[in-house]
Amino acid sequence: MAADTQPDTGASERFEDVEWDELGGLGLPRRTQVLVVTALAYVAAVAYDVFVTDDAILSGTNWLFVLTLLVGVFFVVWPLVENRRLTAYYWRRFKKNRAAVVSAVYLVVVFVVGTFGPLLLAKPELNVLAAYQPPVFLSVDSTVPTTCVGQSADGLCHGTWQYPLGTTSDGKGIAKLVVFGMRVSMQVGLVTMLIVVSIGTAVGTSAAYFSGLVDEVLMRYVDIQQTFPTFFLFLIVTYLFKPSLFLLITIFGFLGWGGIARLVRSEALQRREESYIRAAENAGASDGWIIRRHLMPNVSNTVITAATLLIPSFILFEATFAFLGLTDPSTPSWGQVIASGRGDLDSAWWIATIPGVFLFFTVLAFNFVGDALRDALDPRSEGEA
Amino acid sequence: MTDPLLSVRNLHVQFNTDEGVVRAVDGVSFDVKRGETVCVVGESGSGKTVACESITRLLPMPPGEIADGEILFDGEDLTDASEKRLESIRGGRIAHVFQNPQSALNPVYPVGAQIVEAIRLHRDVSKQAARDRAIDLLDRVGIPEATARIDDYPHEFSGGMKQRVVIAMALSADPDLLIADEPTTALDVTIQAQILRLLHDLQDEFDMSIVFVTHDLGVVAEIADRVVVMYAGKVMETGSVYDVFDRPSHPYTQALLDCLPGQGESMRPIGGTLPDPKRPPAGCRFHPRCPHATADCRAGDHPEPLTVDAGHEAACVYYGPGYDSSVIRGGSASESRVADGGAAVADPDDGHDSSGGDAR
Amino acid sequence: MSMHWYVARRVAWAVVATYLILTITFGLLAVAPGDGQTAFAFQAATEGGDVDEARETFDEITGRDEPLLTRYSNYMVNMATFNWGWSFTRNQPVMDAIAAAYPYSLMYAVPATLISIVFGYAIGLYSATHQYTLTDYVGTFTAFFGISIPNFWFGIMLILVFAVDLGWLPSYYQTGRGVWTLANAKQLILPVVVLSTGAIAGNMRYSRAEALEYVHADFVKTARAKGANDWRVLVRHIFRPAMVPLMTILVADILGLLFAGAYITEVVFQIPGLGLLSYRAIIQQDTALVMATTLVPVFIAIVGNLVQDIAYTVLDPRIDYGDR
Repeated sequence: MAADTQPDTGASERFEDVEWDELGGLGLPRRTQVLVVTALAYVAAVAYDVFVTDDAILSGTNWLFVLTLLVGVFFVVWPLVENRRLTAYYWRRFKKNRAAVVSAVYLVVVFVVGTFGPLLLAKPELNVLAAYQPPVFLSVDSTVPTTCVGQSADGLCHGTWQYPLGTTSDGKGIAKLVVFGMRVSMQVGLVTMLIVVSIGTAVGTSAAYFSGLVDEVLMRYVDIQQTFPTFFLFLIVTYLFKPSLFLLITIFGFLGWGGIARLVRSEALQRREESYIRAAENAGASDGWIIRRHLMPNVSNTVITAATLLIPSFILFEATFAFLGLTDPSTPSWGQVIASGRGDLDSAWWIATIPGVFLFFTVLAFNFVGDALRDALDPRSEGEA
Repeated sequence: MTDPLLSVRNLHVQFNTDEGVVRAVDGVSFDVKRGETVCVVGESGSGKTVACESITRLLPMPPGEIADGEILFDGEDLTDASEKRLESIRGGRIAHVFQNPQSALNPVYPVGAQIVEAIRLHRDVSKQAARDRAIDLLDRVGIPEATARIDDYPHEFSGGMKQRVVIAMALSADPDLLIADEPTTALDVTIQAQILRLLHDLQDEFDMSIVFVTHDLGVVAEIADRVVVMYAGKVMETGSVYDVFDRPSHPYTQALLDCLPGQGESMRPIGGTLPDPKRPPAGCRFHPRCPHATADCRAGDHPEPLTVDAGHEAACVYYGPGYDSSVIRGGSASESRVADGGAAVADPDDGHDSSGGDAR
Repeated sequence: MSMHWYVARRVAWAVVATYLILTITFGLLAVAPGDGQTAFAFQAATEGGDVDEARETFDEITGRDEPLLTRYSNYMVNMATFNWGWSFTRNQPVMDAIAAAYPYSLMYAVPATLISIVFGYAIGLYSATHQYTLTDYVGTFTAFFGISIPNFWFGIMLILVFAVDLGWLPSYYQTGRGVWTLANAKQLILPVVVLSTGAIAGNMRYSRAEALEYVHADFVKTARAKGANDWRVLVRHIFRPAMVPLMTILVADILGLLFAGAYITEVVFQIPGLGLLSYRAIIQQDTALVMATTLVPVFIAIVGNLVQDIAYTVLDPRIDYGDR
């Protein structure tokens, strides 16, 4: 907490003895201090990139990704570390679901590889000579690839470790594409979730807390927004404007929060009637304080679960649009690779299959984890399946 | 003397959960004669609800299981009965009324339809005939303007009215036994009195036996013929209502009665807490909280019910050989309630060791 | 407030929503670059025509040379009278193209919807009432599988296995094989399977979750205590009350899922329905067709929402029509 002044005698202080005016410091918890400093640094960095330099250091998507990671550290990791007992409790309950634990490990691996892999590896390059190489341990009829990078025997071309998962029709290594695709999926999933959760929670708690006209207006807006299927809106927008990952994230983020808002609102409505809100009001807390410090933390468990279950939908959407060719072709994405392999199913089947396996498992993993989180975090689901 | 209508013998009901086996009912026996009202008394968690719901096997049976015992209803052992047989008995011969009237009725059907359903499950009558009977029943349980209200939805009735509807539904197929699980606990005291009166009248009219589960000793005093006191899945004492109230023989019963306010002395709560149903204490289940516990009480099995008087039993070692039962009967504060002036107060310190009393 | 007034309010709301969506779409169209003008000009250029003149003609045809407000009112009037423009890639009115395409969409979408609703709800209910049994676990596992698997990839995998490797089913759809024929049915099997999997899984999960809330409800216990058999309890006392919350997800979400899923299915299997029509229009920059085929699912969704709201109030007698 704030800086303490210690009495010289070393005897413990009594409440009446504390000289409040003498206590120095900002009076902010340490986490908030670090948060403020980091936020300022981030804003400065972004401003520098946007206004000062000509070449972007990081793309818009990547800046958002950094922001998401920072938010994750401050609002998820830090509280978990501070509150070790609670974390241990949640972990014990989460652990009961073994599929979820395996999924969580897989996701951590994907996250690490996806975030740091593309920094270490070079982007996959076009190499027509190396097209259609089979994955290692497998082989394909020699007529399929233009040349065979690996061993060629008995009219079969064998895979090599140089391209462990084979290559596409452009000669790009699928393993590399998988790694780069991991980053794309991570970015889409996490950044969109951040936007959706932020807006949804803010709107939901405000609607519940202020009720009346504010509630009415906000909820009507949500009604409209929910009616318009985001999929088709994105189709229209991508058609009319230039497609990019940033666009996808923004559209899904800024238009997909309706569900969370409704959920948060109904949760908050239930909590609003509880006595501790009344007590806080009586103690003189402002509306903003009550919303931030009392409503939101109690609603957060539901939100986390809902958010974790949204991530797989976003990843799937991105993959679908990539498959349809409606995203930026220069961004490597799993959906894109699958699409490129569609025409060669009878000869180079691995192109369409392998990235799909990763996509499937990633989405499956998020679903398992989200489900287990719901069981672990929601006290109401105690004792039920 | 005719056989009892219902005879529960050594019933063991357990739940197989992830965290262990919960022995909710661990060797419970009691009888219910025709036309009699038996009150099953105990704190929350004593197993009284589980015992009653397992009579017609209403419990969810994957985690739940009737591990041992017999349930003889009119000569037939219900533990062996097929599901189909049980379905015909439920409602038709044994009816249930549950605690919470707010949620006991299906919210999307009118009450008339639900009563008609109950009737037509057991009697082959036309819809119209069933409907007429339903109106009749609603009237009988005290719902004003029954003909108009028969098509109303449950949410249009107050709590007390809902409970009357539930009672009407339970009686619709003319059962022989009504099992009422704390039917008045969720209601206001004044409504409570009305419902009790209603049940009493209906019992005469329909010639039913009633098993009434409750933790409210005041209600027990009001309506019971016989009383079964349960604790931690076991029966502590059974007897007529007079026996149990005037001469409570088990330390637990005495302690329960001591908890009642308004006796002219201060209330005395029972120290300690309920035992963990997964790991009950050895010996007598009540021994950690019993002021009279001896070494025998703390080891071995829970004592069998022993005779105190005719028709009055208590599961306490003090009624067996080698013990002076007057220690329990005379040595507690309930002596002020003994109708005949009671025996001379024995010295509380002779005849037993008084360690192992209240665990705070 | 009576039911009629409530229905009238909801219908009015649907109309307002439609109007808003059309306006927004128009707004997007107005600010967008490209919009088919380039494609049109490109076409003219390859045919040896004058590019600038082609651009002007395009603007004339599409009415872009007129002031904004006139365009807006023209647009709204056209939309309302179902005069949705001309498709220059198919050389026919947009409405005709849609009319020709939607039967193909129905051919697989209708069976898939029916299957997903019936099986999804049935398995979900069964799982809820038979918790912790093998069927429950299998059902839950299948549900996870179904909602996680990317539809398009699943379709491709099925094609790989059943068409390429095994050769039992055709790998893409061909017209001209009739509607109620065996040949047509064979080529519809894989699309229907792909489309149903995701939808069944979603339905299963929702219905299981909702039914679970009711399985342990007091009135279910009352029903069993009355002597009702398991089937009766399931249908009248679990499913019927559960239908209330289930309805809220049924129409809107399933439609949404179905449309997006149908889109992909058609592209993967080359079925000439609305989805493929729209997709080709996007690739070829046929704006009028793109708008029309994208708006059709949106309108259906609005109508679906309306139907769902009304059905919800009919099903749950506790709803007070004075509430939102």
